[in-house]
Amino acid sequence: MKSWIRGTWVLAAKDLRNLFLSPLFYIITGLCTIVWTLVYFLSLQEFASQATMSQFGGPQGGPNLHFVVFAKHVSIVNLVMIFAVSALSMRLFTEEKRAGTMPLLLTSPVSATQITLGKFKAGVTAAWALLAISAVYPVSLAVYSSIEWGPLATSYLGLMLVVACYVGVGMLASSLTDNTVVSVIMALILNVLLWFVGALSEASPGGAVNAVFEHLNFGAHFVNFIKGSLSVASLVFFASVMALAVFLTQRVVESARWR
Amino acid sequence: MSGQVAQPTSGPAGSAQKSSTSTAPLMIEVKGLRKSYGPITAIADLNFSVRKGEVVGFLGPNGAGKSTTMKIITGAMAPTDGSVKVSGFDVFEDPIEVKKRIGYLPENPPVYGEMSVESYLRFVAQLKGVASANVGVQVERAIEKTDLGSVRRRLIANLSKGFRQRVGIAQALVSNPDVLILDEPTSGLDPRQVAEVRSLIQELKGEHTIILSTHILPEVQEMCERIIIINRGQIVAEDSLAGLTQRMQNSRSGLEVSVRLARPSAAVAQALGAVAGVTSVRLDAGVYKVQLTVNHMDAVEKLAEAAVATRAGLLELQHQAFDLEDIFLKLTANEDTAAVAAGGAQ
Repeated sequence: MKSWIRGTWVLAAKDLRNLFLSPLFYIITGLCTIVWTLVYFLSLQEFASQATMSQFGGPQGGPNLHFVVFAKHVSIVNLVMIFAVSALSMRLFTEEKRAGTMPLLLTSPVSATQITLGKFKAGVTAAWALLAISAVYPVSLAVYSSIEWGPLATSYLGLMLVVACYVGVGMLASSLTDNTVVSVIMALILNVLLWFVGALSEASPGGAVNAVFEHLNFGAHFVNFIKGSLSVASLVFFASVMALAVFLTQRVVESARWR
Repeated sequence: MSGQVAQPTSGPAGSAQKSSTSTAPLMIEVKGLRKSYGPITAIADLNFSVRKGEVVGFLGPNGAGKSTTMKIITGAMAPTDGSVKVSGFDVFEDPIEVKKRIGYLPENPPVYGEMSVESYLRFVAQLKGVASANVGVQVERAIEKTDLGSVRRRLIANLSKGFRQRVGIAQALVSNPDVLILDEPTSGLDPRQVAEVRSLIQELKGEHTIILSTHILPEVQEMCERIIIINRGQIVAEDSLAGLTQRMQNSRSGLEVSVRLARPSAAVAQALGAVAGVTSVRLDAGVYKVQLTVNHMDAVEKLAEAAVATRAGLLELQHQAFDLEDIFLKLTANEDTAAVAAGGAQ
């Protein structure tokens, strides 16, 4: 068991190292922060103007920092992450195939499951590193004002789960092709698709099918986290999406032996 | 050769290498191996075994199924049928145990351009399950054996093809495996590097069981104790070089002698044809090719005397001994047209 974990870790460490040593990660981070900074600045301004209005007899209680600023930030981070993670994960397998290093992995004493989990860990760690950078925005406000940490924390937990799903999907896409462009486009489309599967519930007339699609609604599960509530159903849902992506990727990796 | 003595299973020290390896335990056993890619059969019913400490050359034209066989032995590919055992472990039932014992150099060295030589070897050592405490030692050993010390901190992407190939070999060595499987280890190297790799493999003899594939014949001649010639997915010959040469010599009824003269003429040809045992004389690009019925040196001597007696200016007289190239060509060429048809198999 110990050597099993070590094998996975060795693979993940190699990928992470190579990712953090390549310009790709920093380019993506740079572009992401441009978008986040812009939107964050605008929502802070909106909050300021709402706060000013409430001082002069606006609606009671004043604006809510969490919903006006943080919730918006979280949804923008999520949107940007669809693109960023697709780009981060595009090389996970395509690069191995392109460089001809897949035979090394396949002839090393590690299983296809370990290879896949190693890649997944590396991808998730990189994506979470990006999330940590995005968390600087809301957390820095703690210097100037009091923050409701609870909903912020659940929002970020939600983001961590959703982003891990994107990594899973991106990894699956990269295992299917040896072309990075095809991989990133496939990942993008599949990741966007995740958000529209739930919408099918509106098209179906109700009953069991409708209920199934409602449970597959990414948005509905994610909104719970933004509102500050943790539900086991949502945790299980996201975990299942990741598990499915890892499982399918593992099958693709294993199938390389049979071709 | 020195490593031979260190093997507990080899025969008494000082006995000939050949007899000591023949009693060594089987390291690789391939039985009834078959692989087809859709309608194309890459290898058909392959059977062979390799004993511990042996160096076996896997020879065949391009597309003969060499790489496919190696991929199957290393577990990178599953066969359609048949079984492979390495050190007693079945490749398909105990892949992890088998892979711990194998170092594999694929056709293209499996290197990461963005890593330095040292960190790459360190990664491979860890991946192959070398104990953490030994990783440093093993990496040093591999770097030293493949003479990579001067580039250890360079990025692999910036290395020349020759160095990359050596990094590939170092990678196969780094876990100090029992079995080394080298797919065309000298491809892409310049003559000096080829010589270095050959002497490296000589050095590794005895310590490791080695299978190497190639289509470069002198390489096999120089390094391998046993040769397996494979064509269109089947073994067409399997023996030591001496054995193969002997076999070819025996199968041949006559001898061909090339005679080069300064002033060739019809009269000379007639004189040569009159020598006892000569069946035919033909002129081929200024050189007389003389066919003899007997495989004997006396006839060659008589032919030389006759050639000198004509006073046509004997420049060169050479009887054709079979070398590996002839063996190879003879064994693989007779099915040439069919081989071309199946050429896409690899």
